Amino acid sequence: MVEMSGIIEVENVSFGYTPKSTVLEDITFTVAPGTFLAIAGPNGAGKTTLLNLLCAAATPRTGRIMVDAAPVESYSTEALAERIAVVRQGFMPVFGFSVVETVMMARTRRFGAMGFESKADREIVNEALDLTDTAQFASRPIGSLSGGERQRVFIARALAQETDVLLLDEPTNFLDLKHQVGIYDLLKAAQLDKGKTVITVTHDINLATQYCAQTLLLGTDGNSLFGPVAEVLSGENIEKVFAVPVFAGRVGKGKYFIPLGKFARDKT
Amino acid sequence: MGLNIWPAVSPQVLTHKTTLDKTLMTELLTPNRLIVRIAAAFLILLVVMFACSLIGTERVSLKAVFAGGADEAAVNPDYEIFVRVRVPRILLGAIVGAALACSGVVFQALLRNPLADPYILGISSGAGLGAMITVVCGFNWTFFGRSPIAVFAFAGALGTVWLVWFIGRLTGKFHLTGLLLAGVVVNAFFSAVIMFLTSVARSDEVYATIFWLMGNMAEEDFLVLWMTAGCVAAGIAALFYLGPQLNALSFGEEDARSIGVNTGRTRAAAFAIAALMTAVAVSISGLIGFVGLIVPHAVRLVFGPDHRQLLPLSAVAGAIFLVAADTLARIVVAPAQLPVGVVTAIVGGPFFLLLLIRYSRRIGWSK
Repeated sequence: MVEMSGIIEVENVSFGYTPKSTVLEDITFTVAPGTFLAIAGPNGAGKTTLLNLLCAAATPRTGRIMVDAAPVESYSTEALAERIAVVRQGFMPVFGFSVVETVMMARTRRFGAMGFESKADREIVNEALDLTDTAQFASRPIGSLSGGERQRVFIARALAQETDVLLLDEPTNFLDLKHQVGIYDLLKAAQLDKGKTVITVTHDINLATQYCAQTLLLGTDGNSLFGPVAEVLSGENIEKVFAVPVFAGRVGKGKYFIPLGKFARDKT
Repeated sequence: MGLNIWPAVSPQVLTHKTTLDKTLMTELLTPNRLIVRIAAAFLILLVVMFACSLIGTERVSLKAVFAGGADEAAVNPDYEIFVRVRVPRILLGAIVGAALACSGVVFQALLRNPLADPYILGISSGAGLGAMITVVCGFNWTFFGRSPIAVFAFAGALGTVWLVWFIGRLTGKFHLTGLLLAGVVVNAFFSAVIMFLTSVARSDEVYATIFWLMGNMAEEDFLVLWMTAGCVAAGIAALFYLGPQLNALSFGEEDARSIGVNTGRTRAAAFAIAALMTAVAVSISGLIGFVGLIVPHAVRLVFGPDHRQLLPLSAVAGAIFLVAADTLARIVVAPAQLPVGVVTAIVGGPFFLLLLIRYSRRIGWSK
């Protein structure tokens, strides 16, 4: 049932915005189909940059990125959009499109000759709105939604794109606890029920440990760690990469991290 | 399969789905709905054009118009006024209005800026400079029956817009701010050159250009009208096909690419078509302000931002607006005439503000 595509291979990729600066250095990892991968790391470590490289919005300086065994830059814009859907941070249109219009845009490349959607497109959008629980405000302009609602709309649009891979840039930014968990539940369901490869940039290492199978931890010094969550996200690694003392503890089977500031009451 | 986070198919989910289908049906634009709306708008346009053709300083009797033949035009003033003066001018208004409103929509979408209008990237000052140079140099040849002002204005408009586009590219491929600033600065620079030429030129020469700069509609012969009508209609049709892509571009370059829109191609095509349409309009009617700014906004406020609908409806609404405004310009201070640009701003401004106040609460501007 689940098609085995959605493989992303990153081989020795380096990138810098100017010839002299380096943001990413010699990054290598492979994401198997249907994996939930978190990309974590401090500000400026190049998480969003890496995301842009993965969807061909930027080109690596050296190394290569393969999507389903073909170099990412060999895909046309349309062909890549068949495989990878991207949810970026805080994109807002200038003019007030409604929720359902926004989600329908995921089908743009499949529109008929006159520029209108087919019945099948409507059903796909219908399902995406249903899964993300955004149908209730389908007719509202997206400018009038709260941050959490809007994020769900953009995830709905990404689902309606019917790709094997979902890329997300800090999807839980500015959301309260309930909505953070809601978004991750949604992504987990997309992974489990639809076999999607989910790659999300995140600052929340606790959510990453709960939901993700694999983690790429990027440091500002160009070093990176890749592997199963349980190995990569350890108190020791987090302290080193984020340069902050961390309390690492367990609740039942789960591992949790709490950063300790200068004024923490129980500083170890 | 594994963890099921959302409820599996249950009666509750099913009922949810059926109500959702209904909302989708009412919310989304369908081809039928679009055709009905365009047809209705077109009907209004025809009515307005017909009514405006009967209004003027001279009373024209339709009976006399249809009674009189073209052979003995001299003995039938009604026919002469109606067919050779009123009708061409009304057709001109409709063509120019449609072209300006449509390019306004495109520039607002491409620059993702509600303040954009067809003139924002230098077309107005380029055309103005072309016209000014013609007048100051005293050219008086004709080009296929066109005065040199039109030819130079057209060349000036396209040349300037190309220059701005080129400078914009130098600031970075997708930097809208760079393009916008290049447009504003080139506009300011050429306007200064126009001012300079105005100060050194003889006053009777200046008078002709100033009228042109304020938007000047004059009677045109039918050949020119059909040619421009053909250009503008082809432009609107081509832009309609770019509608879904323009919708996606409203969310920004990168976002549009990630849903599979070839933004480079869309942007270049839409930009070229809109610039050409504006240059054609400007070369035959001078600088008519305001149509390209407020008509797209007015249509968007009432019918929403979907470009598949916005483009054709703006074209028809722009035509209606300019035909009506030009009729006012003909009769308000008759037997003299106002520049139509004065009327579009004086009438269009308050009308637009009313619409803005009435509808903007509903659409939720982006924060």
